[in-house]
Amino acid sequence: MRIEHWWFTLPLRLRSVFRRNRVEQELAEELQFHLEHKIEEGLAAGLSPQEARYRAMRAMGGLEQRKEEMREMRRVHWLTDFLDDFKYALVSLRRTPGLAALVVVTLALGIGMTTTPFSMVDALIFRPYPVPRPHEVVNLVSTSRDKDLDAFSYREFLDLRDHAKSYDGMIAHSNAGAVGFSAAPGATPKVKGGMMVSANYFDVLGVTPRPGRGFQPNEDKVPGRDAVVVLGPDFWKNEFASDPAVIGRRVLLNGKEFTVIGVAPESFPGLQIFSRPDFYLPLSMAGVFSGSPRKEFFEDRDDRALNVKARLKSGVTLGQARTELAGIAQTFEREFPAANRDRGALVRTQFEMRTRDDDVNWKFSVIFMILALAVLLVACTNVAGLLLSRARTRTREISVRLALGAGRFRLIRLLLTESLMLSLLGGLGGLAVGYAGIQLLSNFSIPTELPVTIPFRMDGRVLLASVAISLASAFLCGLAPALQSTRGDLANGLKSADVDLPGKRRLWGRNALVVAQVAMSLMLLTAAFLMARSFQHSLVGGIGFAKDHLLIARFDPRLVQYDAEESRRFYELLAARVREAPGIVGAAYTQNPPLGFSGFESLAFVPEGFQMPRDRESFTSAMDTVDEAFFETMGIRILRGRGFLASDDEDAPRVAVVNEQFAKRYWPNSDALGKRVRLDGRVGPPVEIVGIAQTINYRATGERPIDFAYLPFAQHPRERRVLVLRSSGDPLERVEPLKEIVRALAPNLPISEVRSYEDLYRYHAVEGPQVAIRLVGTMGGVGLLLAIAGLYGLVAFNVSRRTREIGIRMAIGAGPFAVLRLVMGKGLALVGLGTAIGLAMGFAVEQLMNSMLFDTGGVDFVAYLVIGPLMVLVTLLAAYVPARKASHIAPTLALRCE
Amino acid sequence: MSKPNDLVLGTLDLLLLKILALEPLHGWAIGLRLRSISDDVLQVSEGSLYPALHKLEQEGWITAEWKQTENNRRAKFYSLTRLGRKQLESETANWERLSSAISRVVQLREA
Repeated sequence: MRIEHWWFTLPLRLRSVFRRNRVEQELAEELQFHLEHKIEEGLAAGLSPQEARYRAMRAMGGLEQRKEEMREMRRVHWLTDFLDDFKYALVSLRRTPGLAALVVVTLALGIGMTTTPFSMVDALIFRPYPVPRPHEVVNLVSTSRDKDLDAFSYREFLDLRDHAKSYDGMIAHSNAGAVGFSAAPGATPKVKGGMMVSANYFDVLGVTPRPGRGFQPNEDKVPGRDAVVVLGPDFWKNEFASDPAVIGRRVLLNGKEFTVIGVAPESFPGLQIFSRPDFYLPLSMAGVFSGSPRKEFFEDRDDRALNVKARLKSGVTLGQARTELAGIAQTFEREFPAANRDRGALVRTQFEMRTRDDDVNWKFSVIFMILALAVLLVACTNVAGLLLSRARTRTREISVRLALGAGRFRLIRLLLTESLMLSLLGGLGGLAVGYAGIQLLSNFSIPTELPVTIPFRMDGRVLLASVAISLASAFLCGLAPALQSTRGDLANGLKSADVDLPGKRRLWGRNALVVAQVAMSLMLLTAAFLMARSFQHSLVGGIGFAKDHLLIARFDPRLVQYDAEESRRFYELLAARVREAPGIVGAAYTQNPPLGFSGFESLAFVPEGFQMPRDRESFTSAMDTVDEAFFETMGIRILRGRGFLASDDEDAPRVAVVNEQFAKRYWPNSDALGKRVRLDGRVGPPVEIVGIAQTINYRATGERPIDFAYLPFAQHPRERRVLVLRSSGDPLERVEPLKEIVRALAPNLPISEVRSYEDLYRYHAVEGPQVAIRLVGTMGGVGLLLAIAGLYGLVAFNVSRRTREIGIRMAIGAGPFAVLRLVMGKGLALVGLGTAIGLAMGFAVEQLMNSMLFDTGGVDFVAYLVIGPLMVLVTLLAAYVPARKASHIAPTLALRCE
Repeated sequence: MSKPNDLVLGTLDLLLLKILALEPLHGWAIGLRLRSISDDVLQVSEGSLYPALHKLEQEGWITAEWKQTENNRRAKFYSLTRLGRKQLESETANWERLSSAISRVVQLREA
């Protein structure tokens, strides 16, 4: 019915809009036809032509009113009116091109500032999975007392899949990490990123690999049987030049032969934000890629490495799915008490997963967004101020229109149309500003083993958001002036082109604008300043060890199918050869160098003799596995006790070194030296603390001190290691000799990452924070500029309004200083108030940043001492310039002024 | 005398649809027809006739066409559409329900 209805009526509406003249003419003709008949009728009844005509008109009840009623029936009134308004707005803006340009630039800056943070917030939080009906896809997570976002084990996944009824399919995936890929036997492997998935992965997500096919249901059933691989679209393009003949080819992954069966479509770059899998492998091949050596992936119920997602059945609510999953988790706990004690399970939405508490990126983006909205607010208040003063000069025009019978609502609409045009133009400029910001972010490269995808981009969603923001700012900055200028008193408005309307409300609005501007920009500057300061602080404070003359190189012998013993021997030989090489003063192994990008393993432990809190099973700490030369090579001091020794081998008693922070936390009143902890919860082996190391920066420069523990490689074998070399000269000159040595030992083993430590440090500690500071600083700068312009405008406006008053005052003896005080007094008060509010807001932002990002250790008073007075000074200057002009007005001129 | 055309609010649409269901007519003729069929009881003020017609046209119930009258003058002739016929049916049904209900009420005998 509705569609059919539109089928009939849409052409009529369109005709009303596009053939307006024709429609109008027909309207007149139709009524004319009627009138003529009516007149004829009157004549026939014996009336005079005059009388007949008069009677006919009266019967009609006003020709124009009827026409208007008929036009209204056409239901496109709003549109044709809008077109009228649009034309009129164009004309009236062209009359004041300077002001229009100023407004557009202001809005462009304001809107552009929000574009970049929005692209960040969108990429990190809101952008849906690139699959059909993405909102149905939920995450299933395992929870324990200490973790609320744990993965599931293979066995658990199978049970979940078989027992849960709420879903149209459940999938599991696990990052295979760095995989050695070679297109042909004998070629040196390249390090690529793989993703292990359940066979139904593509089917459940609704993604169809082309060319080729996805996995078949039986291809993840038998461990090690089906060596098949689906390529990612980018990988296919880059490594195989998008050759469809790649299907059926054999490639080597970690030395094992796999058959290419398909390519994931371009539209599906993967579910991760920061990375794109180069290829997908069935879970059944996990033996080739993953795993901790102590666990059996396919059997152990506590080898939790799988991320589980599922597609909710339509009609099933999140609540129902949660209840069901909780029930299944209880069954697990009952049946497998050893592996599942105190474990639950939760269904989490994409949004909940992305806004997890331990992730700092999205918090950064949200803070940016808040700051950007503050800039936008400043810009809007500024534009509102400009429009307000413009509306003032149009008092007479508006009064005339009101007097002629234009409805107030109609006039407000006209004025809003003007601000809408301005803000759409501003939005257009804003896109350019935002694009520049996004470029700045995209050019930022992060030195990791596998490439990091920068997910920020200018896409349809960002465009849409910018348009929405433009519309919102049109209202924000247009509504108040429109309301105010149409409220006036007609009689007064008609008398003069520029007259003050009585009442204090209109000034109240402008004053509030200035206070808001000063406060907002003060807050922004404080934020930028705080960030810069904490950054400076972290540079001055240092990271705790000497970062120069260090070279790092990452190895993974599993890429060439070395077993644990072969790996150990390779590392032993490598270290020995390197130490003999010229120009090298030290060599050591670590699993992850401090301030690297790989993230540390976490250690679950129970300090012996420690009364555990009732709700905790064990404590966790970040940890690294290192060799006996590590502390000396890195220059990390051992404060008490000893570092690791060659004698701490597998047969010796287990030992650990902890940092000072760790020691202080668990043994605040005694020496941690000689104390013991049990690993892996209560059940693991006891380990003695033999040394206390200094606390350094581990994850970020300027971070608050964290607990950290070191375990020796000899007692905790790891196949992936990073070699750290200390050189006597430029560390980069050691790269070629190192490659020689490796080639001699293991011809096909790739060095998956090699760089100077300075390089790593610079990316981590300098460039990242600099981008952040630049962004926030730009916002603060733009905010300040806008506030200055706003204040200047207000005072200048006041001066021009009171020119005559000032003239009279001066004529009867007021000195320039008195005038200055008169004009600036208000400005001073406003700046004072704005500064106070701004300081309070800055303080709130500092708290927010401290709680979300980093701890600068209490309140940074210097920031307020610098920014506060600076702000007062600059804004007062903005007020002083026009005020001074006022105090130099010649009374004779001022009095003549209308 | 009060205006008889306001006798029953909202029935103008029904009347116009019904008249146009018989044959296509122009505005003036519709007014005459209305008067003559209803013996001058339902005299619609000329002012409200045209907006009402335009409303029906915009709803898609009637459609208009410029044609020559018998006196060889151009006039806008309205005729019923398929959609309008449906609308007429449903409005007629409504009207019948309403009027029968009202007449039942009116015919209640005082106790």
